[in-house]
Amino acid sequence: MNQECRIGVYICNCGTNIAKVIDAEGVRNKVADLPGVACARTYEYMCSNPGQEMITRDIHEHGLDRVVVAACSPRMHEPTFRKALESAGLNPFMLEIANIREQCSWVHDDRAKATAKAADLTHAAIRRVARHVPLEKQEAPYTPVTMVLGGGIAGLTVAVELADAGQKVHLIERESRLGGNLGRVDLTAPYLDSARDLLAEKVVLAETNPRIDVRLRSTLTDLMGFVGNFTATVTHQDGSDTEIPVGSVVVCTGYREFDASRIERLGYGRHPDVITSFELEQRLRSGKMETADGRVPNYVSIVHCVGSRNAKYHTYCSRVCCMTALKYGHEIKSALPRAMVTDLYVDMLSFGKGGEDLYRRTSELKTMFLMFEKEDYPVVRAAEADDDCGLLVQVHERLSGETIDVPADLVVLMVGMQARSDSDQVARTVGISQDAEGWFIESHPKLAPVSTPTEGVFIAGCCQSPKDIPDTVAQARASVAMVLGFIAQGKVEVDARFAQVDGDLCSGCRVCNELCPYTAISYDPDEGRSEVQSALCKACGTCVAACPSGAITARHFTDEQILEQIEGVLAWSTSQP
Amino acid sequence: MAIRANPHLIDELEKYGAQDVVKCYHCGNCSATCPFSGEVFVFPRKSMRYLQLGLSSRLQGNLEPWLCYYCGECSEECPRGAEPGETMMSMRRWLTARYDFTGISGLFYRSAKAELLAIALVAILTGLGLTLFGLAQGNINVYDGPGAFLPAENIHIFDWIMAGVLVVLLGINCVRMWWYTVGSDKEVRIPPGDYLKQFFLVPWHFFTQRRYSQCDRKQPWAVHLVLMLSYLTMLILIMFFLHRVQHGPDIDWKVHAFGYVAAVGLVGTTIFALAGRVRKTWTHYKHSHETDWIFLVLLLVVSLTGIAQHVLHRGGWEVAANIVYIAHMMGVVPMLVLEVPFSKWSHMAYRPLAMYFSTLREKVLLAEEKTEPRPQSAAQTA
Repeated sequence: MNQECRIGVYICNCGTNIAKVIDAEGVRNKVADLPGVACARTYEYMCSNPGQEMITRDIHEHGLDRVVVAACSPRMHEPTFRKALESAGLNPFMLEIANIREQCSWVHDDRAKATAKAADLTHAAIRRVARHVPLEKQEAPYTPVTMVLGGGIAGLTVAVELADAGQKVHLIERESRLGGNLGRVDLTAPYLDSARDLLAEKVVLAETNPRIDVRLRSTLTDLMGFVGNFTATVTHQDGSDTEIPVGSVVVCTGYREFDASRIERLGYGRHPDVITSFELEQRLRSGKMETADGRVPNYVSIVHCVGSRNAKYHTYCSRVCCMTALKYGHEIKSALPRAMVTDLYVDMLSFGKGGEDLYRRTSELKTMFLMFEKEDYPVVRAAEADDDCGLLVQVHERLSGETIDVPADLVVLMVGMQARSDSDQVARTVGISQDAEGWFIESHPKLAPVSTPTEGVFIAGCCQSPKDIPDTVAQARASVAMVLGFIAQGKVEVDARFAQVDGDLCSGCRVCNELCPYTAISYDPDEGRSEVQSALCKACGTCVAACPSGAITARHFTDEQILEQIEGVLAWSTSQP
Repeated sequence: MAIRANPHLIDELEKYGAQDVVKCYHCGNCSATCPFSGEVFVFPRKSMRYLQLGLSSRLQGNLEPWLCYYCGECSEECPRGAEPGETMMSMRRWLTARYDFTGISGLFYRSAKAELLAIALVAILTGLGLTLFGLAQGNINVYDGPGAFLPAENIHIFDWIMAGVLVVLLGINCVRMWWYTVGSDKEVRIPPGDYLKQFFLVPWHFFTQRRYSQCDRKQPWAVHLVLMLSYLTMLILIMFFLHRVQHGPDIDWKVHAFGYVAAVGLVGTTIFALAGRVRKTWTHYKHSHETDWIFLVLLLVVSLTGIAQHVLHRGGWEVAANIVYIAHMMGVVPMLVLEVPFSKWSHMAYRPLAMYFSTLREKVLLAEEKTEPRPQSAAQTA
């Protein structure tokens, strides 16, 4: 043990969160005399201002050079205490947190054992912190150019807003036209405004703004570098590549609709008069509202949740279908005033501004609403020859408890949203992750909704999860704010924790290159060894563990630090039976 | 077996007075408020659902509209303004039309013009017939006794013939009601013994309107009971004591005392109901179908002309009494001939029958539940 250390140990009661199971004073007494511990204290709320002041005062009065805080998870307050250390003139990395709340008091109820475990965890932190070394943060310049992937309403919004703010944008669109899925829609809910009008304005602005470089039939095939200093490789339809230096990438790749033919009982693909919501949009736009054999439909039946909220397909709600279906009630009635509209739903989710009002207006048009169980889709079959309709939709109606045949000439399936089939490719290229359903994962569902764990890569719109136009545009503009924040700073801070390759030990086997989830390691063929790009590295430690030569060290997670921590946690348990 | 949904049913019911049914989103507040909504008969929510889904066959076999007395609390509690109370009222009209084998009932409910025309036609025929009959055999200056313009014994025979026809017409409709609501149901079989054991319920509910009295609000029941008993008293006086009622100019207190009380009851309650409907004082008076007005106005006309001929006769104005007598009959005959089998009056038979049938059904269903618990469907638990 390094006898020259002067370590301050602070044990938090967290009100009663920790105190109700752990005897903080007992922990203090146990660790106070450990080698290197200069002072040890307990307090009600260590994260409070008085708590932090206690630490900074001790740093000055006791000449502390390291601090251990035994409290909640480091995810909660590590930044708080690092700032406290910094304000007292200590390097922020001379701190170690012992998590005695989430990993101890919240999961145990035996007071004696929990207190012993808390002491072990604190001991481990004390042993570890003794091996900490000061680390310095690094800076890099930021390239004020942004790449936007996808030319739907999200991508268009990002591009136009950034360009309006005077910034250069490259808008990359896989298809031959801008507009995305919104371009396939007739009117929007709940105010029945034209989607075309909404979109046309943005498309014109994007196409005419000299600061926006629109590239159609193009895809991003490679993204190297790190935040502020990416090199994006864009591949065009003719196979040619362009390398573009960019500071950030905003991913707005959208969604694709659910394949309704997967649910056989709905009859899509079997009955020509069973169509998807997008096919209905097309008919509404062209004004050709008729059945396959050219009759005017007397009955139109709309089925909700096709592929959504169902254990077999997608468990999530696609969020826009209910409102869209209510909108169809109006559109069908204005196209075919005599038609009867039936609406087969699981739960009517007409949330948000104007939603309930749209529901009321649609029900006043005498739309017949029938509720079905989400695992029990209606069955579509051909009607009998003497029926006055072409199809019959059989549904187990929940609010009446009856099995009902609903007449239909046209059945509209509200197909849900699902992740695009190329989303895993996009995720891999830009270095972000996907959830089980394929949607891109944000840094924090509430507090960082458009950021990703890869700095400089943002997500907006339906590529993150199904959402409506207002939410999509809000996310798009939120990501614009994030990008403009970087541009305003003009530079980026690079985390001091990253992996380092010892060039003398590296054999150039390149095992680490493929393993790195952040594509932060590259191989230098001239030197014959691998290098870590510190700005990209997240210090996950995968390469450190994998390196057969032991040539890679993770800063702040050195072998020595981890072994000391293990020694600490086991020190007392070996003396117990 | 799936039931066919009929999206046009709501349109049809609207002609019978239903409004705003589409606004209902099945929160169930109405059923929670209703003191009559129970384990087996859950209403008005379930009936609202049948209507929204256009399940004509279910609605036709539904007794629930008859179990509702329209106190109006459900409509007041409804957060959507879907008017469940008025919807139940319109369903009673629709059911009346369904039970009626002639189709006349439906015609009257859907078209006030048709009903008014029919009333006018029957009134004119009655007036013409009675005038010719009077002129042929009597003296316009004589109201009762020998040579009377309209002798009580002849009118009595006419009354009984008319009563016979009406009972037959209404009886046929009652049998149809039984078939739709109980007889044709293969799932709920009612033991024949129960029919006999529970039959007392029909006169019991007819005379006491016991169920109506169980509404939270007592006033509508009281008004209705006074109206009904007054009418019944008058009916008994006319059917069995016509001769003594008509006889004058002295007052036969043993008979006339009843008549006076009944007259006050009839006129008072009719005016109360009319004023309530004009001023919309209560929830159940807020929406008035044409047939409600026609019924009340006819009743008032009949009552007032009845009183008038009595007064005129006692005052010695025999000619005027005879003319008013004809006018009275021009109100009574259409009211009975058209309203009893085909319109609002028919509920005097359907309501007690519904209590009787529903009790029979309830007994069977509850007994079944005890032996084997039925899977609770959404409809049953709501």
